[in-house]
Amino acid sequence: MRYTDFTPNDILLLLQGLGVSAALFAATTAIGLLIGLSWAVLRYYRVPLLAPLFAAVAELLKNSPVLVQLFLVFFGLPVLLETDVTPVQAAVITLSGNTAAFIYIIAVSAIESVGREQLETARVFGLTRWQTLRRVVAPQAAAFGLGPLTGLLVNQLQVTSLISVVGVLDLTRMGAILNLRTLKPFIVWTVVGLLYYLMAKLIAKTCARLETRLRAHTAWKGL
Amino acid sequence: MTFDPTILAPYLGDLAAGARLTALACALALAGALALGIAVALMRTAASAPARRAADIYVDVFRNVPFIVQLFFLFYGLPEIGLELDAFSTGVLALSLAGGAYTSDAIRAGILAIEPGVLEAAQVSGLPRRVIYRRIVLPIALRTSVRPLGAVFVNLILTSSILSAITLNELTGTAKIVAADTFQPFEVYAALLLAYVTLTYIVSLSAGALHRRLNRDRAMGSG
Repeated sequence: MRYTDFTPNDILLLLQGLGVSAALFAATTAIGLLIGLSWAVLRYYRVPLLAPLFAAVAELLKNSPVLVQLFLVFFGLPVLLETDVTPVQAAVITLSGNTAAFIYIIAVSAIESVGREQLETARVFGLTRWQTLRRVVAPQAAAFGLGPLTGLLVNQLQVTSLISVVGVLDLTRMGAILNLRTLKPFIVWTVVGLLYYLMAKLIAKTCARLETRLRAHTAWKGL
Repeated sequence: MTFDPTILAPYLGDLAAGARLTALACALALAGALALGIAVALMRTAASAPARRAADIYVDVFRNVPFIVQLFFLFYGLPEIGLELDAFSTGVLALSLAGGAYTSDAIRAGILAIEPGVLEAAQVSGLPRRVIYRRIVLPIALRTSVRPLGAVFVNLILTSSILSAITLNELTGTAKIVAADTFQPFEVYAALLLAYVTLTYIVSLSAGALHRRLNRDRAMGSG
Protein backbone atom coordinates (compact mmCIF):
# COMPACT_ATOMS: atom_id res chain seq x y z
CA MET A 1 0.00 0.00 0.00
CA ARG A 2 1.31 3.41 -0.92
CA TYR A 3 1.03 6.40 1.38
CA THR A 4 -1.20 8.18 -1.11
CA ASP A 5 -3.95 5.56 -0.75
CA PHE A 6 -7.01 6.29 1.35
CA THR A 7 -7.32 4.20 4.53
CA PRO A 8 -10.35 3.55 6.75
CA ASN A 9 -8.62 5.76 9.29
CA ASP A 10 -9.14 8.77 7.02
CA ILE A 11 -12.88 8.52 7.62
CA LEU A 12 -12.25 8.78 11.35
CA LEU A 13 -10.00 11.77 10.72
CA LEU A 14 -12.73 13.54 8.75
CA LEU A 15 -15.38 12.68 11.34
CA GLN A 16 -13.14 14.06 14.06
CA GLY A 17 -12.77 17.28 12.08
CA LEU A 18 -16.52 17.37 11.52
CA GLY A 19 -17.03 17.04 15.29
CA VAL A 20 -14.66 19.94 16.00
CA SER A 21 -16.40 22.15 13.41
CA ALA A 22 -19.87 21.24 14.71
CA ALA A 23 -18.87 21.74 18.37
CA LEU A 24 -17.23 25.13 17.71
CA PHE A 25 -20.22 26.18 15.64
CA ALA A 26 -22.66 25.21 18.41
CA ALA A 27 -20.60 26.83 21.18
CA THR A 28 -19.95 30.10 19.35
CA THR A 29 -23.57 30.32 18.19
CA ALA A 30 -24.75 29.99 21.80
CA ILE A 31 -22.26 32.59 23.09
CA GLY A 32 -22.89 34.88 20.12
CA LEU A 33 -26.64 34.64 20.63
CA LEU A 34 -26.27 35.59 24.30
CA ILE A 35 -23.94 38.55 23.61
CA GLY A 36 -25.84 39.78 20.55
CA LEU A 37 -29.20 39.66 22.34
CA SER A 38 -27.84 41.49 25.39
CA TRP A 39 -26.52 44.25 23.10
CA ALA A 40 -29.99 44.46 21.56
CA VAL A 41 -31.57 44.72 25.04
CA LEU A 42 -29.16 47.55 25.90
CA ARG A 43 -30.39 49.32 22.79
CA TYR A 44 -34.04 48.61 23.66
CA TYR A 45 -33.49 50.36 27.01
CA ARG A 46 -31.49 53.09 25.23
CA VAL A 47 -28.63 52.79 27.73
CA PRO A 48 -26.39 55.83 27.17
CA LEU A 49 -22.80 55.22 26.02
CA LEU A 50 -23.07 51.42 26.02
CA ALA A 51 -25.80 51.18 23.37
CA PRO A 52 -23.97 53.35 20.78
CA LEU A 53 -20.65 51.71 21.69
CA PHE A 54 -21.90 48.21 20.90
CA ALA A 55 -23.67 49.46 17.77
CA ALA A 56 -20.27 50.73 16.57
CA VAL A 57 -18.52 47.47 17.52
CA ALA A 58 -21.15 45.50 15.59
CA GLU A 59 -20.62 47.75 12.54
CA LEU A 60 -16.84 47.17 12.71
CA LEU A 61 -17.23 43.40 13.00
CA LYS A 62 -19.83 43.27 10.23
CA ASN A 63 -17.72 45.23 7.76
CA SER A 64 -14.32 43.58 8.17
CA PRO A 65 -13.12 40.14 7.08
CA VAL A 66 -13.44 37.40 9.73
CA LEU A 67 -9.95 36.26 8.77
CA VAL A 68 -8.51 39.63 9.78
CA GLN A 69 -10.47 39.56 13.06
CA LEU A 70 -9.05 36.09 13.67
CA PHE A 71 -5.47 37.26 13.00
CA LEU A 72 -6.01 40.23 15.30
CA VAL A 73 -7.11 37.93 18.13
CA PHE A 74 -4.66 35.10 17.49
CA PHE A 75 -1.50 37.02 16.60
CA GLY A 76 -2.27 40.52 17.89
CA LEU A 77 -3.83 40.02 21.33
CA PRO A 78 -1.03 37.85 22.78
CA VAL A 79 1.56 40.50 21.91
CA LEU A 80 -0.57 43.40 23.14
CA LEU A 81 -1.60 41.76 26.43
CA GLU A 82 1.53 39.61 26.79
CA THR A 83 -0.45 36.40 27.26
CA ASP A 84 -0.92 33.18 25.33
CA VAL A 85 -3.94 32.57 23.13
CA THR A 86 -4.45 29.03 21.84
CA PRO A 87 -5.93 28.48 18.37
CA VAL A 88 -9.17 27.18 19.89
CA GLN A 89 -9.47 30.18 22.23
CA ALA A 90 -8.85 32.54 19.31
CA ALA A 91 -11.49 30.69 17.28
CA VAL A 92 -14.07 30.88 20.08
CA ILE A 93 -13.46 34.59 20.73
CA THR A 94 -13.51 35.58 17.05
CA LEU A 95 -16.48 33.48 15.95
CA SER A 96 -18.56 34.40 19.02
CA GLY A 97 -17.88 38.10 18.50
CA ASN A 98 -18.66 37.92 14.81
CA THR A 99 -21.88 35.96 15.38
CA ALA A 100 -22.88 38.42 18.13
CA ALA A 101 -22.56 41.35 15.71
CA PHE A 102 -24.92 39.80 13.17
CA ILE A 103 -27.36 38.55 15.85
CA TYR A 104 -27.47 42.12 17.19
CA ILE A 105 -28.36 43.50 13.77
CA ILE A 106 -31.09 40.88 13.23
CA ALA A 107 -32.47 41.38 16.76
CA VAL A 108 -32.65 45.16 16.38
CA SER A 109 -34.62 44.94 13.13
CA ALA A 110 -36.82 42.19 14.61
CA ILE A 111 -37.62 44.35 17.66
CA GLU A 112 -38.35 47.31 15.39
CA SER A 113 -40.72 45.15 13.33
CA VAL A 114 -43.15 45.14 16.25
CA GLY A 115 -45.54 48.06 15.77
CA ARG A 116 -45.22 51.13 18.02
CA GLU A 117 -48.92 51.05 18.83
CA GLN A 118 -48.38 47.72 20.59
CA LEU A 119 -45.77 49.28 22.86
CA GLU A 120 -48.12 52.15 23.64
CA THR A 121 -51.00 49.76 24.33
CA ALA A 122 -48.77 47.71 26.64
CA ARG A 123 -47.85 50.89 28.54
CA VAL A 124 -51.48 51.91 28.86
CA PHE A 125 -52.21 48.48 30.35
CA GLY A 126 -49.53 49.18 32.94
CA LEU A 127 -46.88 46.72 31.78
CA THR A 128 -43.32 47.61 32.71
CA ARG A 129 -40.78 48.02 29.95
CA TRP A 130 -39.30 44.59 30.77
CA GLN A 131 -42.74 42.91 30.77
CA THR A 132 -43.46 44.51 27.42
CA LEU A 133 -40.21 43.14 26.03
CA ARG A 134 -40.73 39.71 27.53
CA ARG A 135 -44.46 39.20 26.80
CA VAL A 136 -45.23 41.40 23.79
CA VAL A 137 -42.09 42.18 21.80
CA ALA A 138 -39.94 39.05 22.20
CA PRO A 139 -42.42 36.41 20.95
CA GLN A 140 -43.21 38.37 17.78
CA ALA A 141 -39.60 39.44 17.22
CA ALA A 142 -38.46 35.81 17.55
CA ALA A 143 -40.85 34.69 14.82
CA PHE A 144 -39.78 37.64 12.63
CA GLY A 145 -36.06 37.08 13.21
CA LEU A 146 -35.93 33.35 12.54
CA GLY A 147 -35.81 33.70 8.76
CA PRO A 148 -32.74 35.97 8.74
CA LEU A 149 -31.29 33.91 11.61
CA THR A 150 -31.41 30.75 9.47
CA GLY A 151 -29.41 32.46 6.74
CA LEU A 152 -26.96 33.76 9.32
CA LEU A 153 -26.39 30.35 10.94
CA VAL A 154 -25.81 28.62 7.61
CA ASN A 155 -23.30 31.37 6.85
CA GLN A 156 -21.60 31.16 10.26
CA LEU A 157 -21.12 27.41 9.83
CA GLN A 158 -19.11 28.18 6.70
CA VAL A 159 -17.19 30.92 8.50
CA THR A 160 -15.93 28.30 10.99
CA SER A 161 -13.83 26.87 8.13
CA LEU A 162 -11.51 29.91 8.44
CA ILE A 163 -10.18 28.81 11.82
CA SER A 164 -8.27 26.07 10.01
CA VAL A 165 -5.89 28.84 8.94
CA VAL A 166 -4.62 29.32 12.50
CA GLY A 167 -4.27 25.57 13.05
CA VAL A 168 -7.52 24.40 14.65
CA LEU A 169 -8.04 20.77 13.55
CA ASP A 170 -11.50 21.31 12.08
CA LEU A 171 -13.03 19.70 9.00
CA THR A 172 -11.22 22.00 6.55
CA ARG A 173 -7.87 21.41 8.28
CA MET A 174 -8.39 17.64 8.09
CA GLY A 175 -9.20 18.07 4.41
CA ALA A 176 -5.94 19.98 3.93
CA ILE A 177 -3.99 17.22 5.71
CA LEU A 178 -5.58 14.50 3.57
CA ASN A 179 -5.10 16.61 0.44
CA LEU A 180 -1.39 16.91 1.16
CA ARG A 181 -0.95 13.21 1.85
CA THR A 182 -3.14 11.58 -0.80
CA LEU A 183 -2.62 14.16 -3.57
CA LYS A 184 -6.23 13.59 -4.63
CA PRO A 185 -7.70 17.10 -4.31
CA PHE A 186 -10.89 16.41 -6.25
CA ILE A 187 -12.00 13.54 -4.02
CA VAL A 188 -10.89 15.13 -0.74
CA TRP A 189 -12.43 18.56 -1.30
CA THR A 190 -15.62 17.09 -2.77
CA VAL A 191 -16.12 14.96 0.34
CA VAL A 192 -15.29 17.87 2.67
CA GLY A 193 -17.64 20.15 0.71
CA LEU A 194 -20.40 17.55 0.85
CA LEU A 195 -20.06 17.23 4.63
CA TYR A 196 -20.39 21.01 5.03
CA TYR A 197 -23.34 20.99 2.65
CA LEU A 198 -25.15 18.32 4.67
CA MET A 199 -24.51 20.21 7.93
CA ALA A 200 -25.86 23.41 6.37
CA LYS A 201 -29.00 21.61 5.23
CA LEU A 202 -29.47 20.16 8.71
CA ILE A 203 -29.26 23.65 10.23
CA ALA A 204 -31.71 25.08 7.70
CA LYS A 205 -34.16 22.25 8.30
CA THR A 206 -34.00 22.59 12.10
CA CYS A 207 -34.63 26.34 11.84
CA ALA A 208 -37.55 25.83 9.44
CA ARG A 209 -39.17 23.41 11.88
CA LEU A 210 -38.70 25.87 14.74
CA GLU A 211 -40.18 28.68 12.65
CA THR A 212 -43.33 26.65 11.91
CA ARG A 213 -43.75 26.14 15.62
CA LEU A 214 -43.22 29.81 16.51
CA ARG A 215 -45.64 30.95 13.84
CA ALA A 216 -48.28 28.42 14.89
CA HIS A 217 -49.88 30.98 17.22
CA THR A 218 -50.02 33.79 14.71
CA ALA A 219 -51.55 31.78 11.87
CA TRP A 220 -55.26 32.41 11.46
CA LYS A 221 -57.10 29.15 12.07
CA GLY A 222 -60.66 30.46 11.98
CA LEU A 223 -63.05 30.84 14.85
CA MET B 1 1.33 46.86 26.73
CA THR B 2 2.55 49.06 23.91
CA PHE B 3 0.65 50.44 20.98
CA ASP B 4 2.65 52.23 18.32
CA PRO B 5 1.04 52.56 14.88
CA THR B 6 4.00 54.55 13.53
CA ILE B 7 5.86 51.28 12.91
CA LEU B 8 3.64 50.91 9.82
CA ALA B 9 5.11 53.95 8.06
CA PRO B 10 7.96 52.16 6.19
CA TYR B 11 5.52 49.54 4.90
CA LEU B 12 2.83 51.82 3.50
CA GLY B 13 4.11 51.29 -0.06
CA ASP B 14 3.87 47.50 0.25
CA LEU B 15 0.42 47.72 1.80
CA ALA B 16 -0.77 50.04 -0.97
CA ALA B 17 0.46 47.50 -3.53
CA GLY B 18 -1.46 44.80 -1.67
CA ALA B 19 -4.56 46.99 -1.62
CA ARG B 20 -4.25 47.53 -5.39
CA LEU B 21 -4.10 43.76 -5.93
CA THR B 22 -7.20 43.32 -3.72
CA ALA B 23 -9.02 46.03 -5.68
CA LEU B 24 -8.03 44.48 -9.02
CA ALA B 25 -9.08 40.97 -7.96
CA CYS B 26 -12.40 42.27 -6.61
CA ALA B 27 -13.12 44.38 -9.71
CA LEU B 28 -12.45 41.43 -12.04
CA ALA B 29 -14.45 39.09 -9.78
CA LEU B 30 -17.34 41.58 -9.72
CA ALA B 31 -17.40 41.59 -13.52
CA GLY B 32 -17.29 37.79 -13.58
CA ALA B 33 -19.92 37.45 -10.86
CA LEU B 34 -22.23 39.93 -12.64
CA ALA B 35 -21.97 38.12 -15.97
CA LEU B 36 -22.55 34.78 -14.28
CA GLY B 37 -25.28 36.20 -12.05
CA ILE B 38 -27.20 37.64 -15.00
CA ALA B 39 -27.03 34.33 -16.91
CA VAL B 40 -28.06 32.32 -13.85
CA ALA B 41 -30.85 34.75 -12.91
CA LEU B 42 -32.27 34.46 -16.43
CA MET B 43 -32.09 30.67 -16.16
CA ARG B 44 -33.79 30.72 -12.77
CA THR B 45 -36.67 32.79 -14.13
CA ALA B 46 -36.86 30.90 -17.44
CA ALA B 47 -39.84 28.86 -18.59
CA SER B 48 -37.71 25.75 -19.09
CA ALA B 49 -37.74 23.49 -16.02
CA PRO B 50 -34.31 21.85 -16.62
CA ALA B 51 -32.69 25.29 -16.94
CA ARG B 52 -34.30 26.43 -13.68
CA ARG B 53 -33.22 23.24 -11.95
CA ALA B 54 -29.59 23.44 -13.13
CA ALA B 55 -29.33 27.07 -12.02
CA ASP B 56 -30.90 26.31 -8.64
CA ILE B 57 -28.41 23.49 -8.02
CA TYR B 58 -25.48 25.79 -8.83
CA VAL B 59 -26.70 28.44 -6.39
CA ASP B 60 -27.49 25.86 -3.70
CA VAL B 61 -24.04 24.26 -3.88
CA PHE B 62 -22.04 27.49 -3.93
CA ARG B 63 -24.04 29.01 -1.07
CA ASN B 64 -23.74 25.99 1.22
CA VAL B 65 -20.07 25.07 0.86
CA PRO B 66 -17.44 27.29 2.55
CA PHE B 67 -15.52 29.56 0.20
CA ILE B 68 -12.14 28.27 1.39
CA VAL B 69 -13.19 24.71 0.41
CA GLN B 70 -14.23 25.92 -3.06
CA LEU B 71 -10.93 27.79 -3.32
CA PHE B 72 -8.82 24.75 -2.35
CA PHE B 73 -10.86 22.55 -4.70
CA LEU B 74 -9.93 24.83 -7.60
CA PHE B 75 -6.37 25.66 -6.47
CA TYR B 76 -5.29 22.04 -5.92
CA GLY B 77 -7.76 20.38 -8.30
CA LEU B 78 -7.38 22.39 -11.53
CA PRO B 79 -3.69 21.48 -12.09
CA GLU B 80 -4.76 17.80 -11.80
CA ILE B 81 -6.81 18.15 -14.97
CA GLY B 82 -4.03 20.04 -16.72
CA LEU B 83 -5.31 23.54 -16.05
CA GLU B 84 -2.31 25.43 -14.65
CA LEU B 85 -3.62 28.76 -13.37
CA ASP B 86 -1.62 31.10 -11.14
CA ALA B 87 -2.91 31.97 -7.66
CA PHE B 88 -4.37 35.30 -8.83
CA SER B 89 -6.42 33.79 -11.68
CA THR B 90 -7.60 30.92 -9.46
CA GLY B 91 -8.64 33.45 -6.81
CA VAL B 92 -10.56 35.60 -9.29
CA LEU B 93 -12.24 32.50 -10.72
CA ALA B 94 -13.25 31.23 -7.27
CA LEU B 95 -14.57 34.68 -6.23
CA SER B 96 -16.55 34.97 -9.48
CA LEU B 97 -18.12 31.53 -9.08
CA ALA B 98 -19.09 32.14 -5.46
CA GLY B 99 -20.16 35.72 -6.16
CA GLY B 100 -22.29 34.61 -9.12
CA ALA B 101 -24.55 32.63 -6.79
CA TYR B 102 -25.22 35.74 -4.69
CA THR B 103 -25.54 38.23 -7.57
CA SER B 104 -28.04 35.91 -9.27
CA ASP B 105 -30.24 36.16 -6.15
CA ALA B 106 -30.22 39.96 -6.26
CA ILE B 107 -30.85 40.12 -10.02
CA ARG B 108 -33.55 37.45 -9.89
CA ALA B 109 -35.40 39.51 -7.27
CA GLY B 110 -35.09 42.49 -9.61
CA ILE B 111 -36.55 40.47 -12.51
CA LEU B 112 -39.45 39.17 -10.42
CA ALA B 113 -40.24 42.71 -9.28
CA ILE B 114 -40.95 43.92 -12.83
CA GLU B 115 -44.65 44.66 -13.20
CA PRO B 116 -46.26 42.05 -15.56
CA GLY B 117 -47.93 44.90 -17.47
CA VAL B 118 -44.56 46.13 -18.71
CA LEU B 119 -43.73 42.73 -20.20
CA GLU B 120 -47.22 42.32 -21.68
CA ALA B 121 -46.93 45.73 -23.32
CA ALA B 122 -43.57 44.73 -24.81
CA GLN B 123 -45.01 41.46 -26.10
CA VAL B 124 -48.07 42.99 -27.75
CA SER B 125 -45.81 45.57 -29.35
CA GLY B 126 -44.32 42.62 -31.22
CA LEU B 127 -40.80 42.99 -29.84
CA PRO B 128 -38.68 39.83 -30.21
CA ARG B 129 -37.81 38.03 -26.96
CA ARG B 130 -34.10 38.93 -27.24
CA VAL B 131 -34.91 42.60 -27.45
CA ILE B 132 -37.35 42.38 -24.53
CA TYR B 133 -34.65 40.79 -22.39
CA ARG B 134 -31.85 43.12 -23.46
CA ARG B 135 -33.73 46.40 -23.58
CA ILE B 136 -36.42 46.00 -20.92
CA VAL B 137 -35.96 43.12 -18.47
CA LEU B 138 -32.24 43.50 -17.73
CA PRO B 139 -32.07 47.31 -17.48
CA ILE B 140 -35.02 47.39 -15.06
CA ALA B 141 -33.82 44.38 -13.05
CA LEU B 142 -30.27 45.72 -12.78
CA ARG B 143 -31.21 49.23 -11.73
CA THR B 144 -33.58 48.01 -9.02
CA SER B 145 -30.92 45.68 -7.63
CA VAL B 146 -28.00 48.13 -7.43
CA ARG B 147 -28.19 48.38 -3.63
CA PRO B 148 -28.35 44.59 -3.00
CA LEU B 149 -25.58 44.14 -5.55
CA GLY B 150 -23.54 46.64 -3.56
CA ALA B 151 -23.99 44.44 -0.48
CA VAL B 152 -22.82 41.43 -2.52
CA PHE B 153 -19.76 43.42 -3.65
CA VAL B 154 -18.96 44.35 -0.03
CA ASN B 155 -19.06 40.65 0.83
CA LEU B 156 -16.85 39.89 -2.13
CA ILE B 157 -14.24 42.33 -0.82
CA LEU B 158 -14.35 40.78 2.65
CA THR B 159 -14.15 37.27 1.17
CA SER B 160 -11.16 38.23 -0.99
CA SER B 161 -9.04 38.26 2.20
CA ILE B 162 -9.22 34.44 2.07
CA LEU B 163 -7.15 34.51 -1.13
CA SER B 164 -4.15 35.03 1.18
CA ALA B 165 -4.56 31.32 2.03
CA ILE B 166 -3.39 30.35 -1.48
CA THR B 167 -0.18 32.38 -1.28
CA LEU B 168 -1.61 35.49 -2.95
CA ASN B 169 -0.11 38.66 -1.47
CA GLU B 170 -3.15 40.87 -1.68
CA LEU B 171 -3.93 43.25 1.20
CA THR B 172 -4.26 40.57 3.90
CA GLY B 173 -1.34 38.52 2.54
CA THR B 174 0.88 41.61 2.56
CA ALA B 175 -0.22 42.47 6.09
CA LYS B 176 0.80 38.98 7.22
CA ILE B 177 4.31 39.61 5.90
CA VAL B 178 4.46 43.05 7.55
CA ALA B 179 3.24 41.57 10.87
CA ALA B 180 5.97 38.93 10.75
CA ASP B 181 8.55 41.56 9.83
CA THR B 182 7.73 44.10 12.53
CA PHE B 183 6.76 41.74 15.37
CA GLN B 184 3.86 44.16 15.97
CA PRO B 185 0.87 42.09 14.78
CA PHE B 186 -1.72 44.01 16.79
CA GLU B 187 -0.97 47.36 15.14
CA VAL B 188 -0.79 45.75 11.71
CA TYR B 189 -4.04 43.81 11.92
CA ALA B 190 -5.92 46.66 13.65
CA ALA B 191 -4.90 48.93 10.77
CA LEU B 192 -5.88 46.22 8.29
CA LEU B 193 -9.31 45.88 9.87
CA LEU B 194 -9.86 49.63 9.62
CA ALA B 195 -8.68 49.59 6.00
CA TYR B 196 -11.31 47.01 5.08
CA VAL B 197 -14.01 48.87 7.03
CA THR B 198 -13.15 52.08 5.16
CA LEU B 199 -13.05 50.33 1.79
CA THR B 200 -16.41 48.61 2.28
CA TYR B 201 -17.95 51.81 3.67
CA ILE B 202 -16.99 53.68 0.49
CA VAL B 203 -18.44 50.88 -1.64
CA SER B 204 -21.76 50.85 0.28
CA LEU B 205 -22.04 54.64 0.07
CA SER B 206 -21.33 54.61 -3.68
CA ALA B 207 -23.81 51.79 -4.28
CA GLY B 208 -26.46 53.72 -2.31
CA ALA B 209 -25.78 56.91 -4.29
CA LEU B 210 -25.86 55.04 -7.61
CA HIS B 211 -29.08 53.31 -6.61
CA ARG B 212 -30.80 56.61 -5.83
CA ARG B 213 -29.51 58.17 -9.04
CA LEU B 214 -30.68 55.33 -11.28
CA ASN B 215 -34.07 55.08 -9.57
CA ARG B 216 -34.75 58.83 -9.35
CA ASP B 217 -37.88 58.65 -11.49
CA ARG B 218 -39.49 55.91 -9.43
CA ALA B 219 -42.10 56.26 -6.72
CA MET B 220 -41.09 56.70 -3.09
CA GLY B 221 -39.69 53.72 -1.27
CA SER B 222 -36.95 53.10 -3.74
CA GLY B 223 -34.80 56.05 -2.72
